[in-house]
Amino acid sequence: MKKVVVNPERCVGCMQCMVACATAHSKSGELFSAICEVPFPKPRIHVGVGLYGEGFPNRCRHCDPAPCMLACLPGAIYRNADFDTVMIDPDTCINCASCAMACPFGVIRYHEDIHAPIKKVVAVKCDNCIARQTKGLIPACVEVCKSNALTFETSTDALKRKTNEVARTVSAEAKQVTAPGFNLLNAMKKAQTELKVNCSRRGN
Amino acid sequence: MKYIVIGNGIAGIQAAETIRKMDSEGSITVIGDETYSPYCRPMISLVLEGVLSPEKLAIRGEDFYEKLHIEPVLGNRVTHIDVADRQVIIDETSKGGRKTSFSFDKLLIASGADARPIKADGLNLKNIFYMRGQEHVLKMLEALTTAKSALVLGGGLVGFKAAYGLMKRGLEVTILIKSGYPLSMQADEPAGDLILKELVKHGLKVFVGAEVSSFEGDRQVTGAHLTDNSFIKCDMVVIGKGVLPSLSFVPRDQIKVDLGIMVDEHLETSSSEIYAAGDVAEYVDIARKTRWVNAIWPEAVNQGRLAGMNMAGRPVSLKGSLSRNVIRIFDVDVMTCGLVNPPADSDHQVISQINPRKSLYRKLVFKNDILVGMVMVNQIDQGGLFAALIQSEIPVRIPKESMLSSSFNYKQLI
Repeated sequence: MKKVVVNPERCVGCMQCMVACATAHSKSGELFSAICEVPFPKPRIHVGVGLYGEGFPNRCRHCDPAPCMLACLPGAIYRNADFDTVMIDPDTCINCASCAMACPFGVIRYHEDIHAPIKKVVAVKCDNCIARQTKGLIPACVEVCKSNALTFETSTDALKRKTNEVARTVSAEAKQVTAPGFNLLNAMKKAQTELKVNCSRRGN
Repeated sequence: MKYIVIGNGIAGIQAAETIRKMDSEGSITVIGDETYSPYCRPMISLVLEGVLSPEKLAIRGEDFYEKLHIEPVLGNRVTHIDVADRQVIIDETSKGGRKTSFSFDKLLIASGADARPIKADGLNLKNIFYMRGQEHVLKMLEALTTAKSALVLGGGLVGFKAAYGLMKRGLEVTILIKSGYPLSMQADEPAGDLILKELVKHGLKVFVGAEVSSFEGDRQVTGAHLTDNSFIKCDMVVIGKGVLPSLSFVPRDQIKVDLGIMVDEHLETSSSEIYAAGDVAEYVDIARKTRWVNAIWPEAVNQGRLAGMNMAGRPVSLKGSLSRNVIRIFDVDVMTCGLVNPPADSDHQVISQINPRKSLYRKLVFKNDILVGMVMVNQIDQGGLFAALIQSEIPVRIPKESMLSSSFNYKQLI
């Protein structure tokens, strides 16, 4: 089964995945009408910043066993076996935040949603775009990602790709760096952050 | 194999389910005094508040026992355990009933906890309630039809949830808090104050430091006299002074008991093949590094599961228990975990940040670079990350102040 794989070292922090996700989970499914919708569509993937300003797309890992599922008081969190996806039933959710306390990745948010009863605040998180997948589309965040920080592939393929990448870096004839641009970008961000810290220290 | 589970709360239910998953042949008997189908205890406050109907409390179907071939023995409490003869006994002869005994090969004690009783005159008056089970809340709902003002005893989680629920029902609510600030067991002073302010803003009346000496009323409660000689008028009273493990039936000479039943990492008691889990069990607290009873739902879920696995023959270890809580009151969210108020003379490092205008607060407690406690008021999305850090005891190698920022996330740790 294909899954969304996050390759954080390739994230440039453009946040297009967030926009695409919010749009995919809006009533209209179109960006320009989505921004007028009530409740305002919100993303289920969250691009955070690392210590040096590098991007980090954070989304639900659909753990098994899922800590949020065990912690859920009313039993609103369940697993969709067909898509190996942890789902939240908005009708049953009581917005108690027990799942926020259980999720080690911090990917659950609480707000109104088009799939929930009107005006009801519920726990919302990534659903692997099951609605899109049943139409033969890939998850919106992957579709929009230009830097391959998000890929949609089987675990075996992802593992093989990663192994090959590592193997190439240790080979004697290693000429090809996986992603020189990304490494440079992140190195620059880190240098910039350290420069700022040092300058402000000197200023004091 | 004959399994007996004492208690049909979540620890007992989780254990029975786990045993059945791993042992389809063995006989499982669940003995419990509550006759409802398995329900979610923490949600009873939502029934009081009126946002959830009592039927919605059930978290397993009515055919739960039948489907898993579990024999339910409901409606009475266990009175003895005969450790030598491997028997659990329900002796109702003093109440004019029968004496029944059940033999076991493996036993789980998951009898939970009862509301901590208080001492005061007039406790037998009508409309004075403890808030522990579905039964209590259903009775409170009857009282709500006539009650206009309520007195809540206890500034802990139960007290606050009761006060919140009753306020939402339109009652005039007064809360009595013994210690200096609310949620003193779960949170710290700044967090307690933020919650208190929120409730006071919505009309809650608060008395700090006083306790009830006696209740007044003719059949039904009409008010309470306090230890400071003041008097509070009220039509109903809710007592939320914490819980105590229910273990009066446990033979202390054969099963080691401290505050709760002492268990090892496999949830086994000092008597072999007898296990304990949930609110009645006592194991080492990860953050406090000492034996502790953490009578909370997620701990009971986990301990019940692990006890079930161990009983069914798969040895798995519980790393330790951990106190944690999350509460939402009006527009304030509070999450706490681990050691929140470290002793002042210790080698704990505390960092915190408060923004009273935005009702934001975050406090982290470290010991040797290991996170051992946290309090968050609002912006609690990342709380689970802190709880996981406390649980895993992985030393934090990044500048700790960055963890106080609302932009702190998982990436910064890897």
